[in-house]
Amino acid sequence: MYDFIVIGSGAGGGSLSYYLTKGGAKVLLLEAGKFYRKDTFPRTEAEGSAQLYWGGGIEFDKDARMGFLRTKLVGGSSIVYQCLMDRFDDIALHDWKAESGVNWFTQEDMAPHYEQVESDMALHTFKEDERTRNGQLFANACDKLGYKWSYLRRGQSDCAPEKGNDCTTCLAGCHRDSKQSALVAFVQKAEKLGLEIQTEIEIDRVESHANGVKIFGKKHKNAVTFEGKKVILCGGAFGSTKMMLQSGFKSKLPALGKHFSSHPQFMWFGFQKEIVDAHKGMFQSVASKDPNFRKEGFKLENVFSLPISIAMLFTAYGAQHQQYMKKYRHMQCIEVAVRDENTGTIQVDNKGKLVVTKRLTDQDNARKERGLDAIKKILVASGAEEVYESQMYFGLHLMGGCVMGVDGGKSVVDPEFRVHGEKNLYIVDSSIYPNAPGINPGLTIKSLGNRLANQLLK
Amino acid sequence: MANHLSKNAQKGLGRLGDLILPASGEFPKYSDVAGFQYLDEMVENAPEDDISSLSLVLSILAFMPGFILQWIVSKMEKSQYDPSNGILAVTFRQLNVGIRGLLYSTYYSEKINPNYKGKTPEQLIDFEVKRVAD
Repeated sequence: MYDFIVIGSGAGGGSLSYYLTKGGAKVLLLEAGKFYRKDTFPRTEAEGSAQLYWGGGIEFDKDARMGFLRTKLVGGSSIVYQCLMDRFDDIALHDWKAESGVNWFTQEDMAPHYEQVESDMALHTFKEDERTRNGQLFANACDKLGYKWSYLRRGQSDCAPEKGNDCTTCLAGCHRDSKQSALVAFVQKAEKLGLEIQTEIEIDRVESHANGVKIFGKKHKNAVTFEGKKVILCGGAFGSTKMMLQSGFKSKLPALGKHFSSHPQFMWFGFQKEIVDAHKGMFQSVASKDPNFRKEGFKLENVFSLPISIAMLFTAYGAQHQQYMKKYRHMQCIEVAVRDENTGTIQVDNKGKLVVTKRLTDQDNARKERGLDAIKKILVASGAEEVYESQMYFGLHLMGGCVMGVDGGKSVVDPEFRVHGEKNLYIVDSSIYPNAPGINPGLTIKSLGNRLANQLLK
Repeated sequence: MANHLSKNAQKGLGRLGDLILPASGEFPKYSDVAGFQYLDEMVENAPEDDISSLSLVLSILAFMPGFILQWIVSKMEKSQYDPSNGILAVTFRQLNVGIRGLLYSTYYSEKINPNYKGKTPEQLIDFEVKRVAD
C-alpha cells in the first residue's frame, strides 16, 4: 500500500508530491489528464484549446455568462497560466483568518513555506527594458493618472527574449521548460526522486476504512481502484469538490460545494494608431499596485492572448468583427480581476455533470465597474483611438467548494487540511481557500502543499 | 479519430459561419477558408453528450430557411447583453461561445482548408509568433 496517494497534479498536488517524495515517502500521483512535456505540448492555439482543457475548451456557469478555463493535464492550470508568483498580503491573510478561524493564516506562519517554495523555483522580476509596448502604454498612463503600478514577479528561468521568443506560445505549455509550472518546478524533479505517476485516471469517489482510503475511478472507461494509507485530494475547486460530493460527504459536511469564488476577469481593448504587438516577447510584465485599487477590491494587469482567444472577446459579428481583428497588432489590452464574494456553489447533477452557480453580487458588480472605469481612463490616457468594452468574462482562479475552517458546520477541512471527521483523507488545493484573496493564487497553493507535506512527514 | 460532427452538421456550421464571418473587404467568408476536416479534432475532448447535441442542432440548421438562421445568429450575437437567465437565453449564450469557438479555431488559425489559395485570415491580421526551443 502506498504511504500517500495524491489525486491531481497541479500547483497543490505537484508541490505536495515533490516534498513528500523528497522526504522519503512512497507516493503515487494520479492525474485525470495526459502527460505532456516541453517537446510534446500542443504547438498551436487551436490545438491547445482543444486538448488541454476539461470540457474541450471551456466550461460555463449555470447561466452561461461566466466561462471557466480548467486544465486537464499533468501540471494542471500552472501549465497554461502566466505563473505570476505573489505572496498574499496582510489583507488576504487577515480575511482568511477572520472567515475560517484558522490561526496560522499569518505572514509569520506562512513565511517558511513561501521561502521554501520560492527557493525551489526560478523567479524573475521584470525590468524596464523587458516591458512590451502594451506594458509601456499601461505604465505610462498609470503615471499620468497617479495610479501606482509595479513589475510582475514570474516563475521563469530562461525565456530567451533576446532570441525573439514570444511567450504567448507558452499559453499551451512552455516548450523551453522555462515557465516554472508545477510540472517543471516539482513533478519532473519528484519523478527523478522516485515519484510514481499514473495518468488519464479520473477518480469518481473515495471511501475511508480503518487503515486507509480506497479510491474508485476509471481509466479509458475501465474501472480502476487504488488504496493508500493517506489520500490527498488536489483536484482544484471543481475536481476536489466533485470527488467529495460523489463520495457522499454532503450530508455530513453542509459547507461542501459552497463558498466558490473565481476572480472574474474582464478584458477591454484600446486601439492605437501605432503597432503595439501585445502578443510579442514577454507579453505580461506589469500590473497595478495601487493601494486604493486593493481596498476597492480589484486589480489591473496588462494582458493579451493569441488570435482565437482575442476573437472570442469581440462579440460583434460580421464585418465589424473582422475589422476589429484586422487591427490585432494595434490592440492595447488591460484586464480587471475582481476580488469577488464567495457566494458561488458547485453541485453535481444526476448525470455526474458539474453545475456551477456563480452570479455576480452587487458588491462584485460595483468592484467591476470601478475597475473598468480605471481601465477606460488608462486606455484614453494612452491615446487609444477607440475603446472596445468586451462583454465576455471568465473565471480563471477557481477557489472554494471545500473551504478550510475550524467549524465542521461551516467548512470542509480542518486547519490540518484533514476532512472534518476523517482520519486519513486530506485536501490541499484552491478548493480550501476560505474566500477570494484578490491575489494570484498559485504561489500560496504551492506553499500550502509544502506545509501539508511537512506535517504529514512528521 | 471518431466522426463527431456529421456532414450535415458541418454544412450547418458553414451556413452559420458565413453569417458570422462573411466575405468582407479582404476577408474571405468562413466556408471558403474553413478547415472542416479539423472540426472533429477540435471537439475530440468535449463531453460526448454536448457534442451529440451540438451536432444535432447544426444538422437541423443545415436545412433551415435563411431568415430563421439570421434570427438565430442575431439572438446569439445579442445573448451576452440579455439579462434573462431563462433556458432560451442560456442556450443562445452557450451557442455564442461554442459555435464561435469552432468557427474561429478553423478560421483565425492554421487549421484551414489547405486548398485555399488567397490570403489567410492569420495573414490578413498580420499575425506571427516565434517559438525558440532550447
